[in-house]
Amino acid sequence: MTVKVKSLWKTFKIPRERRDTLFENLAGIFRPNQYDALTVLKDINFTAEEGDFIGIIGDNGSGKSTLLKIIANILRPTRGEIEVDGRIASFLELGVGFHPDLTVLENVDVYASVIGLTNREIEDRKEDIVEFAGLRKFEETKLKNLSSGMQVRLAFSTAVQTDPDILLVDEVLAVGDKEFQQKCFDVFNRYKKEGVTTLFVSHDLGAVRRFCDKTLLLRHGEQVAYDETSRVIDRYIYNTELDYTPLEASEEEATASDAMETEDAAIEAVEEKKTRWGNMKLEITGVKFLDKYGKMNNNFISGDPLAVRIFYHSHEKIDSPVFGIVFYCQDTYCYGTTNDFKGFDIGSVYGMGYVDFVIEKLPLLDGRFEVTVAVADSNYKVQYDWHDRLYSFNVQNPTRDLGIFSIDCRWRPAEDG
Amino acid sequence: MITPEHLRELWGYRSLIVKIAWSDFKLRYKNSVLGFFWTLLEPLLMLLVLYVVFSHLMRVQVEHYQLFLLLGIVLWNFLARGTTMGIFGIIGKPSLVQKVYFPRDVLIISACFTALMMTLLELAVFAVFMIIFKVAPGLTILYSPLIFILLFLIVFGLATGLSALNVYFRDVQFIWNVVLQAGFFATPILYPVTIFPEHLQKIVMLNPIARIISMLRDCILYNTAPQAGDLIYVVIWAGMAVLAGYLIFDRLEPRFAEEI
Repeated sequence: MTVKVKSLWKTFKIPRERRDTLFENLAGIFRPNQYDALTVLKDINFTAEEGDFIGIIGDNGSGKSTLLKIIANILRPTRGEIEVDGRIASFLELGVGFHPDLTVLENVDVYASVIGLTNREIEDRKEDIVEFAGLRKFEETKLKNLSSGMQVRLAFSTAVQTDPDILLVDEVLAVGDKEFQQKCFDVFNRYKKEGVTTLFVSHDLGAVRRFCDKTLLLRHGEQVAYDETSRVIDRYIYNTELDYTPLEASEEEATASDAMETEDAAIEAVEEKKTRWGNMKLEITGVKFLDKYGKMNNNFISGDPLAVRIFYHSHEKIDSPVFGIVFYCQDTYCYGTTNDFKGFDIGSVYGMGYVDFVIEKLPLLDGRFEVTVAVADSNYKVQYDWHDRLYSFNVQNPTRDLGIFSIDCRWRPAEDG
Repeated sequence: MITPEHLRELWGYRSLIVKIAWSDFKLRYKNSVLGFFWTLLEPLLMLLVLYVVFSHLMRVQVEHYQLFLLLGIVLWNFLARGTTMGIFGIIGKPSLVQKVYFPRDVLIISACFTALMMTLLELAVFAVFMIIFKVAPGLTILYSPLIFILLFLIVFGLATGLSALNVYFRDVQFIWNVVLQAGFFATPILYPVTIFPEHLQKIVMLNPIARIISMLRDCILYNTAPQAGDLIYVVIWAGMAVLAGYLIFDRLEPRFAEEI
């Protein structure tokens, strides 16, 4: 029931010229075809013990699906070894081999065989499968006459009938609505309880965090990390591997060049659409989001710290300017505040500098959030500079909470008496 | 390769083989009774045309010529169908090849089984014709299953090799089609081999399919047992076909999912 992957490499040979036929091959016999080697997996090593639920994450093209296909024995490794001990079921796609001209029952029959159920199991569970998919009335209907939603349901209810030792799942959740995803989660829970060793490829970090004990992070085919899930997700979101120049080190240059860019951009922007306005006596020259490691980032996890660093350049001496910040989710105005509201006095400013807006625990949940920053005089009479929703960042929600933001809360049992 | 280990694995997939074969068979007839008749009609119409042309215009003199002709056509059809369906066995099911694992020759075996089922239907029609023409087979008909199995093995071997080649060279299917057309006329199907002079007959009978057809005709229609030499010759061919098929298949199989 274990999967061992030892120094696995996979290289695809991609011909410069595609020769599909014998004729083309004969015609080109004196002109050997050239190949580009594309290495999609480089030295992957990990072991999944019995009952492990392992996530595989990474950007598109990082080799996740290829890895799964190699473990499933669909592709062969270029180098290295795979040891698989146990019966594998692979769900790289649901409904493989479904035929539109066969009826629902016939499709169940074939598909169940494809994913490895025995004849007896199929006979026993056929009815249940159709029932569970809610397609009892359509048993004898040809598949092509069902909606795609029904087809997915049918494939899913068939697929969950397998009881493998090892389960390979690739992005199955991506296809369904919330209800379907919930069903998938229920099944995952069942498999987890039964101690099925599972490898789960997903972009849904929330699901990975919920189910996976350990997670493998791939980047450009390289194994970046194989560790406890929350650590690996941290590493993925905050990119701690990459050598971002810490902001502190090159602040002066960064600020200077950013100032130039923002200025150029601003001139265009003002002409085209109203995204920036003000008299520019006190300019906002740049805005950076800093993660918990103090590094510049645009991706955050809910509940983690986030700081917004606002760089400014004051062309004259200004006393107690007021910096404001607003968060938007799509077009919803979520939250707005100023340093004045928080009773914080900036003091007098002249020349270049920055101020940090610090969130200890980011309450925002999933999504992309846009930010407006602005600065005005202490009486809110003169607008120096206003950047209307020019900045944005993404948030990943590790919990199962729904919505835009979380409220600090808990449940309490009824008091006795 | 056809190791005991591989055979054991295939045995584990037997129900999948049967199911793919059976559903392909049903799809061919579009699940309708009328579909069966339409497909049976095709060889019968062809038989009619060939019968008229060869027995009346070309004056072929053979005992039970209608049955002689029909059996030849049915058997050749099995070869043509089995290999053609086999060729598409891999490239015709890309999702199965790219998304799930099972031994890939499962697809070839089931394609050959689908062809077999269609041929059994035609053989049933042939049996009806035998009754109509009042030809009773003798005991030698007991040889026929054995000979037919040898034909099946040759078809399977060809299909295995060709299907693998067709993944890499997509014109194999067209080339094979031409070979089949030529083979139909080069094999004594429409005519008895005796129309050739003695020395040419030897060359024509080097073709194992010609021997199989002639042996089956002998033992079904003319109550004549096959010659041991002929049988051994065909057994060797069947063995070589399967062996060669697997040699090609095994070499090319690892990259099917990438090439398809």
